Amino acid sequence: MLQLTDLYKSFHQPDGDIKVLDGVNFTLDEGRSAALLGESGSGKSTLLHLIAGLDRPDSGSIQLQQREMTQLTDSEWNEVRRSELSLVFQQYHLVPTLSVANNLQLQARLCQRLDEEFRDYLVERLGITRLLRRLPHQLSGGQQQRVAIARALLHRPGLVLADEPTGNLDEGSSDAVMQLLVDLVSQAGSSLLMVTHSPAMAAHLDAQWQLHNGQLTLIEEQ
Amino acid sequence: MRWLPLLLLLVAGAATADDVYDVLRRGDSGYAEVVPGKTLVFPADHLAHPTYRIEWWYLTANLTDERGQNWGLHWTLFRQALHADGKTEGWTSNQVWMAHAALTTPAGHRYEERFARGGIGQAGVALEEGRFSAWLDDWQLQGDSAEILPGSLHFSVDGTTVQLELDMQTPWVLQGDRGYSRKSAQGQASYYYSQPHIRVRGFIIEPAGEEITVSGDGWLDREWSSQPLADNQPGWDWFSLHLQDGSALMVYRLRHENKRDGERPNEGQHNHWLSGTWITADGHSRALSADEIELTALEYHRVERANDSALELPLRWSLALPAMGDGYRWTIEAMDPHHWLATAFPYWEGPVVAEGSNPGIGYLELTGYQ
Amino acid sequence: MVSKRLGWTLHTLLSHYRHHPLQTLFLLTGLITGVALWVAVQVINTHARSSYQQATQLLGAQASHWIRPAGDGGIELEQYIELRRAGFRQLFPVLEQQLTTSDRQPLNLIATDLLALPMDSVGAFNVTANWSELMQPPFQAWYPQSLAETLDLQPGEQLALASGIRLPAAVIQTQAQQGQRVFMDIGAAMTVLGRTRFSYLAVGGLTPVEQAALSSILPAQLQLVANQQSLDLSELTQSLHSNLTAMSLLSFAVGLFIVFNAVRFSLNARSTTLATLQELGVSVRLLSVAIAVETMILSIIGAAAGVTLGYLLGMQLLPAVANSMQNLYGAVIDHHLLLQPLTILKAWGITLAGLLFALGWPLWQRSQRALASQRSISDDWLQDGKARRMLALGALVLLALALLLYPNMDSVAEGFALLALLLFAAAWLLPVLLAAALAALQSLIPERAWRWRWALNDGWTQLPVLRTALMALLLALTANFGVDTLVGSFRSALENWLDQRIAADIYVNSEKLKVDSVLQSPLIIDHHQRNGVDLRWGLRPAQIYGLDTRAPDSLQLPLAMHNNALAAWYRNEAGVVLANEQVHHMTGIDPGDKITLTTAAGPRKFTVAGFFYDYGNPFYRFYLPYDIVATLWPDAGNRGLALWLERSAQAGGADISSSTSTAIEQKLLQAGAQPGEWVYRDDILQVSIEIFDRTFAITAAMGTLTLMVAGIALLASLLAIHQRRLPEYAHWRAIGVRRREWLLIILLPLAVCVLLTWLLSLPLGTLLAWLLIHDLNVLSFGWTMPMLVQPWPAVRLALLTAVVVATTLIITLLQVRYRLPATLKQLGGDG
Ligand SMILES: Nc1ncnc2c1ncn2[C@@H]1O[C@H](COP(=O)(O)OP(=O)(O)O)[C@@H](O)[C@H]1O
Ligand SMILES: [Mg+2]
Repeated sequence: MLQLTDLYKSFHQPDGDIKVLDGVNFTLDEGRSAALLGESGSGKSTLLHLIAGLDRPDSGSIQLQQREMTQLTDSEWNEVRRSELSLVFQQYHLVPTLSVANNLQLQARLCQRLDEEFRDYLVERLGITRLLRRLPHQLSGGQQQRVAIARALLHRPGLVLADEPTGNLDEGSSDAVMQLLVDLVSQAGSSLLMVTHSPAMAAHLDAQWQLHNGQLTLIEEQ
Repeated sequence: MRWLPLLLLLVAGAATADDVYDVLRRGDSGYAEVVPGKTLVFPADHLAHPTYRIEWWYLTANLTDERGQNWGLHWTLFRQALHADGKTEGWTSNQVWMAHAALTTPAGHRYEERFARGGIGQAGVALEEGRFSAWLDDWQLQGDSAEILPGSLHFSVDGTTVQLELDMQTPWVLQGDRGYSRKSAQGQASYYYSQPHIRVRGFIIEPAGEEITVSGDGWLDREWSSQPLADNQPGWDWFSLHLQDGSALMVYRLRHENKRDGERPNEGQHNHWLSGTWITADGHSRALSADEIELTALEYHRVERANDSALELPLRWSLALPAMGDGYRWTIEAMDPHHWLATAFPYWEGPVVAEGSNPGIGYLELTGYQ
Repeated sequence: MVSKRLGWTLHTLLSHYRHHPLQTLFLLTGLITGVALWVAVQVINTHARSSYQQATQLLGAQASHWIRPAGDGGIELEQYIELRRAGFRQLFPVLEQQLTTSDRQPLNLIATDLLALPMDSVGAFNVTANWSELMQPPFQAWYPQSLAETLDLQPGEQLALASGIRLPAAVIQTQAQQGQRVFMDIGAAMTVLGRTRFSYLAVGGLTPVEQAALSSILPAQLQLVANQQSLDLSELTQSLHSNLTAMSLLSFAVGLFIVFNAVRFSLNARSTTLATLQELGVSVRLLSVAIAVETMILSIIGAAAGVTLGYLLGMQLLPAVANSMQNLYGAVIDHHLLLQPLTILKAWGITLAGLLFALGWPLWQRSQRALASQRSISDDWLQDGKARRMLALGALVLLALALLLYPNMDSVAEGFALLALLLFAAAWLLPVLLAAALAALQSLIPERAWRWRWALNDGWTQLPVLRTALMALLLALTANFGVDTLVGSFRSALENWLDQRIAADIYVNSEKLKVDSVLQSPLIIDHHQRNGVDLRWGLRPAQIYGLDTRAPDSLQLPLAMHNNALAAWYRNEAGVVLANEQVHHMTGIDPGDKITLTTAAGPRKFTVAGFFYDYGNPFYRFYLPYDIVATLWPDAGNRGLALWLERSAQAGGADISSSTSTAIEQKLLQAGAQPGEWVYRDDILQVSIEIFDRTFAITAAMGTLTLMVAGIALLASLLAIHQRRLPEYAHWRAIGVRRREWLLIILLPLAVCVLLTWLLSLPLGTLLAWLLIHDLNVLSFGWTMPMLVQPWPAVRLALLTAVVVATTLIITLLQVRYRLPATLKQLGGDG
């Protein structure tokens, strides 16, 4: 599914260049999930950005479904993100002018893969049935993140990338949402790479990776 | 006085004229030339000679009123040709006229200048209904006949109106060599004749309406030329005197540029052009040559000019004609130093008193002082 | 202590401008452009008014009176010389003539004798050229720089006139009160143009005694008239200056919209600062003082830069205004602009007032609740609903006021107040209308077209930010369309009217023409000889014309209204008069009313039989039968001879054949006319339209400038929107939204809004034009015309708006494109 080989990335900063990724190797198989742990500033988001094509590595290879991605153009990357990837961020990034229903169908519509049955299932599972006609600002943070999750899964992407998806939520709802995400990802048949601070949450996933000093190491696998 | 340089340009017809008297030094070809031996014919030569570059009708008079107070006046009409193209009539006329009038009253000095284009009748010198007439707007010198004199002069300065009757006692005096008056050794010359014995009587009407009867002696100069000054002559000092015994004296010196440093301008007379004429009471004249005249500036006066600047001018002189005898020695002094005319051609002109054994009064004119 | 705290608070507040240079730029741009246009007009107006004060001067010389011929034909040289020799040296001769260049451009000439000018006034003359060259053949013609540019004339070139005459070599020179005229020596002008008489003598500084003396010796044909130009001009031009002021205030208002816009965006960024400051213990009082100081500083910067720019702009616009004044009123306006301290002070005053309204007030308001939470985009557009309703309510109040004002309107100022009320009411209604339109469109679009729905939905995000800019755009578009319609209507009315009025083939105005000899020509099928006098009627100059009531153009006189006394007028009856429409509108006189005119024998009453159209004439004019004028005003002068010519059958009867025109010109020359003393119909029409176009050039310039200011507002808004929404766009990109889709979403609502704004400006502009034509024009100038709404100006404005929108869009797209990658990289970041 996803294969990262010798990935390097550094940033120019006023106080000198910093090597964020210093030869990262990583594999994620079809339908599997992995947690990405690491201190703040260790490069977790950077790694996710590279995988999603939002930024380019200095060197190394990214293979998605056996396809080499590093040479893709911006618009080719855009097509990949549109249909094969999903991103879930700490900020939910709902379109404020679209209703909940339209927000959660957005990406599925974009890639023309709207499965209404699955939609209703997701809505029900996420407990947002009664919210569909509302606008995002009329929802709580947890509710908004549920919508974002539904949007990310509805088109059954091959890979879901989640960057601290519950970082903005209180612990109670955070756990519930996280659990739902993990469950639903597996029901959608997608692979999942999730950045999290919570070891408890990480424990739910198939593998746990640690990013430290630019190196990614597998610390546990089920 | 921003218009000053501009009118100078006009009058001088030159693009640059640092010295407005340049017009008197121009030697452009095309104008008629002053040559010796020409016989002046009257009254024809009283009229304008438009083919010559410049010309003037110049009257000065020393007057007294019934209370014995001194008055003085000068009235001048200048003519100038801008081109030698012969067009003198109509809108395309090349003639330009300028007139000055100045009045010395017991209270001070007043003057005015006027301009007019030629060719349209606003100014000119011509016979009008058979009478000699020289005018610019309402200023007018008019003969009773084709002769200038006897005649009358009418003008007004600053609301003061002057109305005088002029009468001639003696024949015209031809200056220089029968009217050919040399101005330098290089050949500059003019035609020049005068009337030194004019009986003047008439009225001066003050702005308030007061009418003052005046009488006295007048002097009329007529001169025309195309180049009266040489390049090294910045100006002249001209004296006319009416003496007690009835005789009259005219002396002028054309100053030559002084080369020595530290000297007052125009000091030292060794190289100036001196000339003069002695006229007896009955009108007989005798030309005075340079070596017969001793003219020395005795005293300089600070004279205010219009634009707040002042000038040092020689206003006390000694004049002697040693060849004519011991009595021919005068100290000449301006009655009032404040007679500067800040006109387009700026100069000093005013009445003077001559002291000596044969005293007199007269006029002094100083030009070309910068 | 307090001052130190204030200094530090200010420093913190003002740091905003350093960190947001773009917003600073827009804020200042709005302020400066607005102030600049206002200042430009103000400077021009003050300058023009001071020029009118100088109308008692002519070419720098005092001219308190004129000596004019009682009839016409001018003043003879001999008459002038006689007066000079009588001692009236205050007189100087003037020749003024309207010339037509060989390429049909109108040109005014003024000539005098510089040597005859009163001595003390010669000082006003500016001379770098040689005077004797001006006066001596081959002469010179002195043109002001801007006139030379208009005529495309190089120094040394000899301008060719329609009459075939060539003016002397051009010199670029400007004299006092020369205005947009060519100046020549009077001798040169008389010689070159073949004139033998002066137009008039100007008289400088007469004492009462001198005046009495002068009147007593003046020959009967000449009259001494007091120069009332200053008074007349101030009176006549008042409306035009009000017009300009109104347009400049509009520009200023549009500028304020930009400021308001810029401030709104900065508020978000700064509410954090305000909150922080308050948390740090800065009192609300101190904060208010700091805000006041900030407003003050900005007002000084804005006013200073605005005044400078305005002055420069004023210099650019001055020739156009001077042209208008010269053409409309014969007012001479010089080229030396004066910046008066009062103008600077006023500029600063309005800047400060504007800033207090657009910056100080919202900032202060925000500081009052600085501790409240930051607002997000969605808050904004929620808030927007409320704001829209408030604005709409305000608009209704303004409309109500306008309705109250309209029936009681009787001054130009009130007229403009009404227009302002309407314009602002419309502007304030715009957001509600746009919102309604968006909502309506949305409901029309089926669920399937979800992209379009999304795009329309996005309008709700854009609207709060675009709102102000769109209001500014609406104002600018409305004003432009309104004025275009006004000018277009005027132009077409003028063209039609000229077509009717200038009906004869050739017009002759000659001093020495032997009319009878000309009329013997078999080529002439009809003619119309007119006479006339100038007098004063009421407070204004009035023109009396004697017409041949049987002439073809008299029979077709275009009348605005009349009664049955008209027949009596056509029967040449005494006591019946036709007046121009101005008389009706400015004085309220109706057909059938009686008016009193001062004839040579004293006042006399006339019945008004009707009113004829007389476009653009600032004077009152009365038509009477020729013989009546000749009897009542024995010294009435010749006002020209109109000739209708034989048309050859081959030429289709439309044009005069060249052989006919050659023959008639020959005839005219034989009869004593000089070349250049006749003019063909087509030339008059062409020159009139040319004058018209030049006159309204200033209006066009002001309109374009206002639109530009609105364009800047739009650019500022778009940049602000996109800058703020970059993270949102990055997120869209992250979920795979294509560029095309993004463009659709961004562009559709913008296009809808701009299109709606433009559409709305059409009826509004028409309403504006209607009010201008039917109310303001009547109040200002005293004549009406049919309104003509043309599609072309609307299309032109649409194109112009499209260009403005496209330009701003391209700039913002480039910006977004350039910055999006960086934003993408920060996506999902914590801040
Ligand atoms: N666009 C960027 N430019 C420069 N430095 C960056 C950029 N993005 C991230 N960094 C730096 O790279 C490091 C890793 O950042 P990030 O991947 O966001 O860490 P994490 O998500 O693990 O907290 C940090 O030191 C951050 O400052
Ligand atoms: Mg991170």
